[in-house]
Amino acid sequence: MRHTLVLGLVVSLLVVGCVQSVTNTTPADPLPTISPDDFAALLDASDTPVVVNIWASWCGPCRSEAPLLHKAVAIYGSRIRFIGVDVNDTQDGAADFIAQYGLDFEQYFDPHSSIPTALRSTGVPHTFFFAPGGELRFAQHGIIDERTLAVRIDDLLR
Amino acid sequence: MEFSLLAAALLGIAMAFAVLRLERVHGVTDRRDLVDLVIGASVVGLAVGRIAAMILQGTNPLAHPLDLFFVRGGVDTGFASLGALGFLAWTARHDFWPTLDLVAPAALAGLAGWHAGCVFRGSCAGTVSTLPWALHDGALARHPVGLYAALLLLGGAAALVIWRRSLPLGVTASLALAIAAAVRLATEPLRPGLGSSPVPWYWAGLTVGAVGVVIRVISARSRNITDS
Repeated sequence: MRHTLVLGLVVSLLVVGCVQSVTNTTPADPLPTISPDDFAALLDASDTPVVVNIWASWCGPCRSEAPLLHKAVAIYGSRIRFIGVDVNDTQDGAADFIAQYGLDFEQYFDPHSSIPTALRSTGVPHTFFFAPGGELRFAQHGIIDERTLAVRIDDLLR
Repeated sequence: MEFSLLAAALLGIAMAFAVLRLERVHGVTDRRDLVDLVIGASVVGLAVGRIAAMILQGTNPLAHPLDLFFVRGGVDTGFASLGALGFLAWTARHDFWPTLDLVAPAALAGLAGWHAGCVFRGSCAGTVSTLPWALHDGALARHPVGLYAALLLLGGAAALVIWRRSLPLGVTASLALAIAAAVRLATEPLRPGLGSSPVPWYWAGLTVGAVGVVIRVISARSRNITDS
């Protein structure tokens, strides 16, 4: 019994070690900043639907939903504009997070959380779904699950 | 703070508890530890499924142990089921099939409650529908797929409660596994997703359940022939 437990522990550690080894980060350019007014203008001018995800590298729920966003961008990235806004964070933390989860879509750095404030958002994560022209269709406060994300994207595309 | 997931979980536990209570009232069992077994299996399954989901998503559980509690971030269905079944198998190892047969309808009812909990979570919406009972969700009406699954599972639980006494040992538990998997397979086309639905796990569950039914029936028949 004890041998089985030890073996299980070793296998688990190996699996976790492998996960770590494939998520090593690489240096990246600093994320650009954007003012709330420019961000609002960007949404208004968009002729495609926009999904805005407010996140931070220190935010646990953001880690949980990051793989879903990565998948959504891979599937719908040509029809929907995905934007990430990293708030109350550091550039290093942001770069590590983006590299770890492959969030290589449009990202902005917002150290004072001014964009979420303008969107009347409190806390992270928060995901907004905008129709073309900037009309807010839906906002998800807290972790978004796969089905909710899929349904809201489906709404935007109809 | 958002309690909708907790509400769904509590509804699931309440429905499992109700079935177990019903069985005690009707003298099917006098065991008082079955509620503990169901809750224990649920907790172990949830933990195993969450850890598996974290590893598969690229998050190190040892580096971020608190992420274990972000259940909404994802629970791997297959590993969760294996964890729950493993817990049950270990805990009931001296009384395996009778215990599993007692727990099985309650487990289906619990799953039904969990799916019905989509009402609290605002996540019942499936694919777009024009049927009269479709749920209006924004500008579109959609299949209430979570409620479909809940009704089917509840029907399965009721059927097992009614017919269990006439079934050979182990068939109730095997049927329950097959029903749970079949309900997910049947409702899967109505669930929008991003392509990571664990359909192979559902097929595996259906196959194991069906094979279990066949083996237990053959085993019971051969025992009857030997006895006579």
